[in-house]
Amino acid sequence: MGLKRDVSLSAALAYQGKGPYWTYILHRIGGSALFIFFTIYILALVGVQAANGILSNWIFQLIFLPFMLFHAINGLRITILDLSPKLIEHYRMAINIEWVAYAVVTVYALFVVLRNAFGG
Amino acid sequence: MAARTLPLKKRGFTFEVFMWAFTRFTVMAMYGLMIAGILGALNLSARTGANFGDILYWAFFPNLAENPLGQVWMTILAKLMVIAFVLSACGHGVHGVLEILDDYFTSHAARRWSRNFIITYAVVASLIALYVIWTT
Repeated sequence: MGLKRDVSLSAALAYQGKGPYWTYILHRIGGSALFIFFTIYILALVGVQAANGILSNWIFQLIFLPFMLFHAINGLRITILDLSPKLIEHYRMAINIEWVAYAVVTVYALFVVLRNAFGG
Repeated sequence: MAARTLPLKKRGFTFEVFMWAFTRFTVMAMYGLMIAGILGALNLSARTGANFGDILYWAFFPNLAENPLGQVWMTILAKLMVIAFVLSACGHGVHGVLEILDDYFTSHAARRWSRNFIITYAVVASLIALYVIWTT
C-alpha cells in the first residue's frame, strides 16, 4: 500500500506503448464515461427531467458514444483473449481487428445520432 | 511469444482472482443481455412498425414508456432484464472504478475512503434502480 507513482501526464502521454497502451488508456476513459452515464441513467429512471434531457441531447451522445462503444468493443477483445490464452500471441492482430470493428460501429452510431439531431 | 497461462489451482482463490473472474462473468452477462435486448427490440420494431429508438427507450426505461404491444409479461420481462443489466453493470463498474482510483489515490486512508464511497454508491444506486424499475 502507499505506492508512489510520480509520472506526470506529459510523461505518460509520451510513453511509446503504441496500440496496446492507447487501448488501455481509452478503456479507462470509456469506463469513466460509462460511470457518468450510469449515474445520469439512474437519475433519469427516477424521473429527473434534467437527466432525461441530458441523455437525449445529441451533443452528449456525440461525445459519450465513441468512448462507451470503445469500452464495450475493447472489453470484448480483452474477454476473448483472457478466456482463450492461446490467442494472446495474436494480440496485435486482435487490436487491429478491434479498431476496424470500432470504426464501423462508431461511424454508423454517430451517423444515426446526427441524422436524428438534424431530422434527416 | 508463448501463451501465458496459469492453471486455476496455481492462481489460488484470492480476492484479486475472484474479482478478475467476477468482472469477466458480469461483462459476459451484460453482452448477453445487450444482444437479447437488441434482438428483442428489432423484433418488436418489425412487428409494430415502431421506431427502433423508441423501442430501445422502452427497453431501457420500462417504467417510463408504454409497452408497444401492451402485453403484461413483456413489461415484466423487460423490467427483469433491465434490473439484471443494472446489477451486472454496477458489479462490473465498481471493480473498474476502484482500479482506476487505486492508481491515483496512493495513501492507505484515501484508498480505504474511496473504496467505501464507491461501494456504498454502487449499492445505493442499485437499490434505487431496482426499486424504481420494479414498482413504477
